[in-house]
Amino acid sequence: MPLLKIDSLEIEVEKGTTVLQAAMVNGIEIPYYCYHPALEIVGSCRMCLVEVEGMPKLQVSCNTFVGEAPPERKIEGKYDMVVNTHNDLVIQERKNVLEFLLLNHPLDCPVCDQAGECYLQDYSFKFGNAHSRFDEDKRVRPNEYLGSQIVINHNRCILCSRCIRFTREISGTSELFVEARGNKSKIAALEDKPLDNLLAGNVADICPVGALLSTDYIHKNRIWNLKKQPSVCQDCSVGCNVDVFYQKDKILRLTPRENHDVNGYFMCDIGRYGFHRFEDLDRITTPMARSNGSFSAVSWDEAIRKTADKLGDEGAKIAGIVSPFHTNETNFMLGQIINGPTGTLPQMNDEEIIYQSGFRISNDRSPNRRGMSDVCPALLEDLVSEIDNQDVRMIYVLDDGIDREIDDVWKKILAKMDFVVVQTYAMTTLAQSANIILPGPAPYEREGTITNDGGRVQWLRPSLPMKGESRADWEILMMVMKALDKDAQDFTDIGQVMKDMGEKFPAYDGLSFFRLGPHGMSLNGRANG
Amino acid sequence: MSNKDIHEDSFQYTDSDKVEKIFSQYPDKRSATLPLLHLAQTQGGYITSAIINTVAKLTEIHPAEVMDCVSFYTMFYSRQQGTYKLQVCQTLSCSLNGADDIVDHITQKYGTQPGETTSDGKFTLLKVECLGSCGTAPVIQINDDYHEGLSIKELDILLDSIP
Amino acid sequence: MSTFEPVLTSNITKENSHTLDFYQSIGGYSAIKKVLSMSPLEVIDVVKASNLRGRGGAGFPTGLKWSFVPKDSEKPIYLINNADESEPGTFKDRLLMNKAPHQMLEGMIIASYAIGCHTSFIYIRGEFYREYMLLEKVVAEAYENNLLGDNILGSDYSLDVVIHRGAGAYICGEETGLIESLEGKRGWPRIKPPFPAIEGYLQCPTVVNNVETLSCLPHIITRGADWFQSIGPEKGPGPRLFCVSGRVKNPGVFEEPMGIDLKDLIFEKAGGITNDNKLKAVFPGGSSSAILTAAEAIDVKMDFEELAKKKTMLGSAGVIVMDETVDMVHACLNIARFYAHESCGQCTPCREGTTWLVKMLTRMVKGRGTLKDINMLFEITDNIGGLIDFSKGSYGKTICPFGEAVAWPIRSFVEKFKDEFIKYLPQEKVAA
Repeated sequence: MPLLKIDSLEIEVEKGTTVLQAAMVNGIEIPYYCYHPALEIVGSCRMCLVEVEGMPKLQVSCNTFVGEAPPERKIEGKYDMVVNTHNDLVIQERKNVLEFLLLNHPLDCPVCDQAGECYLQDYSFKFGNAHSRFDEDKRVRPNEYLGSQIVINHNRCILCSRCIRFTREISGTSELFVEARGNKSKIAALEDKPLDNLLAGNVADICPVGALLSTDYIHKNRIWNLKKQPSVCQDCSVGCNVDVFYQKDKILRLTPRENHDVNGYFMCDIGRYGFHRFEDLDRITTPMARSNGSFSAVSWDEAIRKTADKLGDEGAKIAGIVSPFHTNETNFMLGQIINGPTGTLPQMNDEEIIYQSGFRISNDRSPNRRGMSDVCPALLEDLVSEIDNQDVRMIYVLDDGIDREIDDVWKKILAKMDFVVVQTYAMTTLAQSANIILPGPAPYEREGTITNDGGRVQWLRPSLPMKGESRADWEILMMVMKALDKDAQDFTDIGQVMKDMGEKFPAYDGLSFFRLGPHGMSLNGRANG
Repeated sequence: MSNKDIHEDSFQYTDSDKVEKIFSQYPDKRSATLPLLHLAQTQGGYITSAIINTVAKLTEIHPAEVMDCVSFYTMFYSRQQGTYKLQVCQTLSCSLNGADDIVDHITQKYGTQPGETTSDGKFTLLKVECLGSCGTAPVIQINDDYHEGLSIKELDILLDSIP
Repeated sequence: MSTFEPVLTSNITKENSHTLDFYQSIGGYSAIKKVLSMSPLEVIDVVKASNLRGRGGAGFPTGLKWSFVPKDSEKPIYLINNADESEPGTFKDRLLMNKAPHQMLEGMIIASYAIGCHTSFIYIRGEFYREYMLLEKVVAEAYENNLLGDNILGSDYSLDVVIHRGAGAYICGEETGLIESLEGKRGWPRIKPPFPAIEGYLQCPTVVNNVETLSCLPHIITRGADWFQSIGPEKGPGPRLFCVSGRVKNPGVFEEPMGIDLKDLIFEKAGGITNDNKLKAVFPGGSSSAILTAAEAIDVKMDFEELAKKKTMLGSAGVIVMDETVDMVHACLNIARFYAHESCGQCTPCREGTTWLVKMLTRMVKGRGTLKDINMLFEITDNIGGLIDFSKGSYGKTICPFGEAVAWPIRSFVEKFKDEFIKYLPQEKVAA
């Protein structure tokens, strides 16, 4: 392997590694704008220039590949390449490039949504000049919509072309282009062909400055006020890794989190903006019991007692409705309680979309169908007949919070029931048919594991606090379980549920949040996996 | 966004043999973009969004990629030009030999500033960069033809002879 | 040198010099007969031995460029004739295309054969419409006479030539910008590596040679590498088309051996300065070269090495002469405006810096400059294109050499005619 010397560091690197990659991996910061690991190298921003010994001019580190030098050309007899990333020449050159980039920039950081996570700010602070030498009039252009949810602030744009390359190489939709040339260049979309594909939101993420903005987040908050929680998207069975940005009990935005086994660097707009559908829901925050056709709030004790009283009837058959929107642990727990047939709610299907780069949006818009099926293997297609066969009169439903119309199948099922428990977070039509409603967390309040359609178990971490008196889903089920059977195992945390689940379903054996880490773990190759 | 009129009728090449010939010359479709645009502009006078869509379809690329290309080059016009485009070279050798006077003269003669078209639609005055004929400066290109080394007097005779 | 006979332009004044009949009557296309009996490697060796260096501007050795093309390429190999002549002060390729197009075409066939190319393009600048029409005829004539097409002159070798028009962009004269343009894209130069000889047009090995370079080839083949090498300086020999324009009595293209005195070009060939004015400054090699003062200009030979010693370059050999009547600040602004107009906009320093220069120079011309601006002009040009230090190479800062092409001339104006810039400053600011 070639021996590279960067500054004072000696490292062996794979042949063909770029200097920039080698530096990044080894904790040496080289600033850059146009480079993005998922996109073709263009080398145009000139920010990542470094000095390579033996080369007459500074080289862009993003496109300088380390190779094996022949013995007679080794530097100091051993190095295949020697790179300086912070000598005077390089430091001065960064200042120069930054000066150019800021000539026409409005310096409007106080009102810029990128402030706080802006590479112009950061690099100016670290590498730039303290004042401008530009005495001319700035180039000023009005903002424009590139698509229904993406606005461009041309004055902040540094023309790194990441967004354009994204539409050409990742989404393959090619809506963006450079209009004109030279100093008149600007990013544009055709009026009749706007940037409205389902990956469009990513261009705002990959924009290294405050030029491309998602209208969904524009002027909503300051990034430093937000907390960030790594989590997993809840809107299809791909399970893109995300960062949830929230303040108190409100999500402000979702951005993709890098995971090369799942989503790479990106996510789709269905997931990105999906959190909004939980915002205006008619949330249920206390347990409720129905009497005489209307619901009234009851205490947890009362709700659980009423539930257990009914479910505990001698010889009663209880049907269970598990949910691909719930975690493995929740589904598993319900599976342990019921003794009758198991079914699930009608699948929420949509079109599968596969983009040029292979990025996929699943037709199954639930996050955990695979995991649900793994831990509830006896799922029935035709639940109605089995309910008839076994003369089931009670049903426990893990509701997914989606307000469906109750179809004929469900009407039939509900008509048979004497007692309906719905564990939910929203007053859906289904919840309205319940005798007891047990309030759980909404998706971004949940904790547990989910398994994507590729068999990767991922750690779903809660971002928002649970509302009102609602409790964790596994906890609710444990209360019911304990009320039914005083000798039932007493789980004090979700880790114990996971352990128990692993014992019963060996594919999930040995799982823990620690082992899952930020990027999850594949079930492939495991027992029953 | 581009301020193109998006409601134009669709564009069709009148000479499909030429289109076919263009495609036959290149190993891939996209390489035909420039010749197709030249041909379309000859037919349509300037590059409309209908032309962009047609070229995109023929070359199997996105219309935005055609626009990316079109907007880069000075010879593709985004709006109607005069029947005669008076393109005056203004780069150094021409400038040192009276190009500025030529621009001033045309401006006065027709009352058009550079970039403007006469009200009868006959002439558009354009200042252009080096036309590669510095030895015969000053140079003015009228549509496809170079007119080189003209004095103001000769220019007048030339312009006045245009029907 | 007095014995020098023009090579490339020896027949351009003859009637119908552009026709096939004429070209064949003076022995044209005999070189390809010879070439077809040689191996491609032998042809490359002859051209290498001739020391022919590219005539487009960069002066890269032609044979060496060809030798970078992989010998065992499974992909098709392309030759592109760079006829996108756009460098201010340069107008020789247009002459060659108009008056000796078959000579150029024969050169293309030789080059194509040498590198194993079977489809070759002529990328001609869009404004050269008449030349394009002429070349269409010339190429058709060649096809009719089996000089192009399948089995050229009964050999195994086949070649198609396609003429491709540009559409108005100086940067498409840069070889990778040209390749992008040929591919139907904006002419944004590509980052290197990979180099075109490995991955050029459609990711296939591609050689880009200039019209004049190609036009030299039939002569090198016919008369031999030694003959070519014997003309002018050893390190960059051969005949050269020098273009002289600006403030001279008799501007034009002059074919002379490499290494001719610039003084002779201006005062003898081009008839001296307009109105017998005093010489003030000269661009020796197109607008991208640093200007020479009169004192420097009368004492320099037009060859690669000599001009490099004067911290400028031979470039495209486009000599632009400025006399005492020329306002150097205006001339500098003219050049800056050209480059700002032609900057492709891809690299930060060039996109932003060229317009900054124009804005600043415009302000200075309006009498609103300051002393600080003059120093700033040095810094901005250095930041766009780097310092010229030929002992260490150049400190280019952009993907393509456009950055240097802006920086060097602008810097040289300010450096060599600082007084004139100072004169434009408001008096109180100079005093201060």
